[in-house]
Amino acid sequence: MTSHVVRLYAAAGTLAAFFLAWAGIAARPWVEPPRDPRLVAMEQREQRLQRDATLVQQVVDRRWAAYRAALAQRQAAATAAPAPPVRVVTLPPVATTRSS
Amino acid sequence: MLRRRFQAMGTQIELVLDTRPSATAFRALAAAEADLRRLERFLTRFDPHSELSRLNELGTMVVGPALLEVVELALDARQRTRGRFDPTVHNALVGAGYNRTFAQVPRNSDAPPEAPARCAGGIRVDGETSTIELEPGVRLDLGGIAKGYAADRAAAILAQAGPCLIDAGGDIALRGRPWPVGVETSDGTLTLELSEGGLATSGRDRRHWTRAGAEQHHLIDPATGRPAEGDLLRVTVAAASAAEAEVQAKTLFLAGASAALEEASNDAVVLVTRDGRTLLAGALA
Repeated sequence: MTSHVVRLYAAAGTLAAFFLAWAGIAARPWVEPPRDPRLVAMEQREQRLQRDATLVQQVVDRRWAAYRAALAQRQAAATAAPAPPVRVVTLPPVATTRSS
Repeated sequence: MLRRRFQAMGTQIELVLDTRPSATAFRALAAAEADLRRLERFLTRFDPHSELSRLNELGTMVVGPALLEVVELALDARQRTRGRFDPTVHNALVGAGYNRTFAQVPRNSDAPPEAPARCAGGIRVDGETSTIELEPGVRLDLGGIAKGYAADRAAAILAQAGPCLIDAGGDIALRGRPWPVGVETSDGTLTLELSEGGLATSGRDRRHWTRAGAEQHHLIDPATGRPAEGDLLRVTVAAASAAEAEVQAKTLFLAGASAALEEASNDAVVLVTRDGRTLLAGALA
């Protein structure tokens, strides 16, 4: 009697293990589930935009640095530059300065 | 000698390039004109869509390099001149009646000028973020210094093609060779020759109008918030740049004749007084 029950449990356990294994294998956990193509496109676009933003930031930083350097140079020239040599002449003027 | 004339920044502009006609020369003339027109779009207070007008309206704004640079130049000038040169005279100018382009300002009106407006307003410039913040109620007028700055920029562009002179309605920038430039005196014209830098004239003899019988003009004294009352009719300065000449001319005009004679440093200065005298100062004395 005892061995009959044991055999029954063993058969049931084997059957359960078989189905569990089958379910596990049928699920193919080693294969990635197919992804929503819209999400994939969005991720690709995000990466592209991040790359573009980095490039734009580099260009802006470069131009900004050049601008600040030029501004400092111009300001220094405006404040420290010696007055240009000027002399009174009797030539006909090319232009005339007037109240602006 | 190549010349190009056009209307911009509320005045007649003339570009003179001393070189033979060539594609390079014409490209430089076109580039200088384009730059002047571009700067006008940013820096005029008469176009409600200009960058300056939007800054005046919003009070705080991230601005482009041109406006940032001119405001920084103006602030530096205000500091150096101890407030005599002041870009925050906008409200005082409007109060005196200069509230539209000068061509549209009525020359005679019975409407009295408004009460003097406060000048020396607060401006904060953050160069790192390119942001300008104005104290509430403060508005900027960059008229003269913007024109000088634009003339200097145009000269830098044209100089790549040859010796050049830019006449921006009386603000003159020149490069490359000695240029004879006329200065109006009380009884004629004096001709000065210089090869680098700029000249500018500030005076009450051109942009003036009448409100309720009182003469108004565009040179505001920041100390009073009214058109300056002094003994000078106009002041001409030759300096290292047209923008700097503009600053010095306005500053000396507000100083008055006797102070201007003392303060004129190494720059060449011509003063014309309201009683008809012509005085040479600085490097011309």
